[in-house]
Amino acid sequence: MNLKRLVPLSGTLLLAVLLAGHLSTAAGPSAGDEIIAGEGCTSILVGKLASTDGSVMTTHTCDCGTCDWTWRHVPAADHKPGSTRKIYHISQYKTWPPAEGLKWDLYKKDATGLEIPEVAHTYAYHHGMFGYMNEKQVSIGESTIGCQRKMQNPTPAAKLDLSMLTLLGIERAATAREAIQVMGALAEKYGYGFHDDGEMLAVADANEAWIFEICPVGPLWTPDGGKPGAVWAAQRVPDDHVSVCPNESRIGEIDLTKTDFFMASSNVVSLAVEMGYYDPKSGKPFSFKRAYSPVEGSATSTNGRMQRLWRFFDLAAPSQKFKPETPNMDLPFSVKPDKKISVGDVMAMTRDRSYGTPFDPVQGIRGGPFKNPNYYRGTRVIDHGLAEYSTVTQSRAGLPDPIGGIVWIAFGSQDTSCYMPLYAGMTEIPKSFMVGDHWTFSRDSVRWAFDYTDFHVQVAYSEAIKDVQAAQAKYEAELIQRIPEIDAQALALYKKKPAKAAEFLTGFSLNNAATVTAAWWKLGDDLLVKYNRLYLYNAEKRGFSRGQPATPDWWKKAVRAFDILLEPDKK
Amino acid sequence: MNKRTFLGLAAASVVLAATFLIAGQAPPKVGLPVLTTSAGQSTDVTTLNIVLDEAGITYDYCDVPTPEMVADGAGLGGRESGPGFHVESTTDSSKYPAGTPYKAVIFAIGASLKGMGASGLTLDSEEARLKKVIDFCKQKKIFVMAVHIGGESKRGPAGSDNERMIDAVAPYADYLVVTKDSNKDGRFTKLSQSKKIPLTEIEYALGLVDIVKQIFQ
Repeated sequence: MNLKRLVPLSGTLLLAVLLAGHLSTAAGPSAGDEIIAGEGCTSILVGKLASTDGSVMTTHTCDCGTCDWTWRHVPAADHKPGSTRKIYHISQYKTWPPAEGLKWDLYKKDATGLEIPEVAHTYAYHHGMFGYMNEKQVSIGESTIGCQRKMQNPTPAAKLDLSMLTLLGIERAATAREAIQVMGALAEKYGYGFHDDGEMLAVADANEAWIFEICPVGPLWTPDGGKPGAVWAAQRVPDDHVSVCPNESRIGEIDLTKTDFFMASSNVVSLAVEMGYYDPKSGKPFSFKRAYSPVEGSATSTNGRMQRLWRFFDLAAPSQKFKPETPNMDLPFSVKPDKKISVGDVMAMTRDRSYGTPFDPVQGIRGGPFKNPNYYRGTRVIDHGLAEYSTVTQSRAGLPDPIGGIVWIAFGSQDTSCYMPLYAGMTEIPKSFMVGDHWTFSRDSVRWAFDYTDFHVQVAYSEAIKDVQAAQAKYEAELIQRIPEIDAQALALYKKKPAKAAEFLTGFSLNNAATVTAAWWKLGDDLLVKYNRLYLYNAEKRGFSRGQPATPDWWKKAVRAFDILLEPDKK
Repeated sequence: MNKRTFLGLAAASVVLAATFLIAGQAPPKVGLPVLTTSAGQSTDVTTLNIVLDEAGITYDYCDVPTPEMVADGAGLGGRESGPGFHVESTTDSSKYPAGTPYKAVIFAIGASLKGMGASGLTLDSEEARLKKVIDFCKQKKIFVMAVHIGGESKRGPAGSDNERMIDAVAPYADYLVVTKDSNKDGRFTKLSQSKKIPLTEIEYALGLVDIVKQIFQ
């Protein structure tokens, strides 16, 4: 091998080694106290003065890949004095084969044995992996943040895990603050953990958005020990700010004298002292995230594995020139966006792939000739192609709650999916939202309609995504423009008879979901035909000749370069 | 120790004493060093390690030890954590220098598909590994203690992942400690009786603190 080729080949091999290291993000269970930033969900929050229409918004990209994606609607209920509420252990990850039934029936097999006093009235809500939106416009998004290893409590003494906690919060609360207090108090009393450890919830109503973070207190906790079974804090996002949680604790210093901005459990500082995570004599102020869920690193130092926090702030407020080298723990809790943000902007943020940044997943040859961002998953972008579904909730003051609250849902990967609205006042949800799983293809399940399209996009991504974006413009962007008109119609009915408005909103949302789902099945069919065998078929012209998606020059050069590198030595 | 912790431990001790009375068996006395591990990558091994920390008992931990690693004794032959392999040592090397043969191995039983996946394990390979480790322990007269503290969530129908992990370890243990939640169907009681293995039933993981103190101190 001659030296001229040895140098570039060595470079290539070095690059391959670096990439291998870069791509290897599987960390496995940690025996130490290092918190591994999760690879899970992203949750965005928008205050009412930061949005274009006064909405308070939250999001949840339910990033799992093998979890249950089904939804249901839970009606409001009145309960007789002395009634009890059964508590179940609900794993975010556990699924059942469809033949056995639906998750939201079957999880009841996992009763904890605990029954707590029921409240007189529970609110109606829409329910996926968590409770997302109730009839009072209280909404929830989620992101796992992890906690110090010794705080984990997987023992059955912890009766409440996160899913159950959100159901209780959304059943019982008419405001975000109430939901936080309900969840915090119940977790303290009955113990938090079991399936979950450090978790963040975005909790909002029509006026406020809060970040609520909760951790277990270790496996030696017992309900009769006289100590809280959870530690938690909540911080309000200023009304003119936006924030995000990308699997990292966001709450730092807390000032409980500012009751409009902070809440916390009674043990929030004492537990940290007791467990050795905070020394009051250090002279440093107590920080929730540094005590309970410290994460070291920045977007740059982790080669993009922890770039979502920086990326979100850079998207929202580019004028502030946030640096990817800044340790994530030093980035702010929230930021005032450069311009007010619309629901469409938020949807776009959930689809963000960090294109054009140092963490661009298609830079160089990473995405192949058709710039497919799913080839290279070394950097963790917001739209990572893992979502069971994504939600964008809007809680809007000035409208009656059943009309003001909307959960927009996009099933599957955000880039190839379409957000569909479910109003808070709906009394049922589409049947196709209630069925299906990862392991059995089903034409009855909405999720498979979107996966069907997504699958056919992968072949020639850079071309096919344009077809999807055209469909999104028609079925999503146009619908967003129509929402004020739908609101107005619902409001007119509501003033006459609220039940009529509920009926209207249910009908509208069901019809829209059916239309979009059908459109995505057809889009998948069309993409299969159009890009069949990596040719370009024009179904309208039905011509003899067929083209191929254009292969870019840089790709041809890359192929030639590799040919030269791998060419046998000339003697 | 503050008052509440003292009261909690006192309450746990009462429960513990009661369970011994029921079982009619006192915890055996075994010395150190001790190795902790899991059967099925159970996250309960974290709880077990915290129990030992709380009791002031030093230990070595390895998530997937082989007989060779157990044979290397305290310090696990200087092995370090890597992808899919985790070790930790709090063993007091001044008392138990590297290579001191283990007197006991404690298994936290419970299958975690997530954990096994991260370590590249399957149920079959985990069963095979456990058999080899237990065979080695028997051959070297190393005390085998099995704990099941994950409750019903770490149980299942016969043949399920969790039950296979129980089958792989519990019948060969020298001592069993389980939470009441784990033993609701009496499976461990029956096993204890049929195999004549001492069994202690505890209410909460906290109850294990006094037990390990009695065994290892």
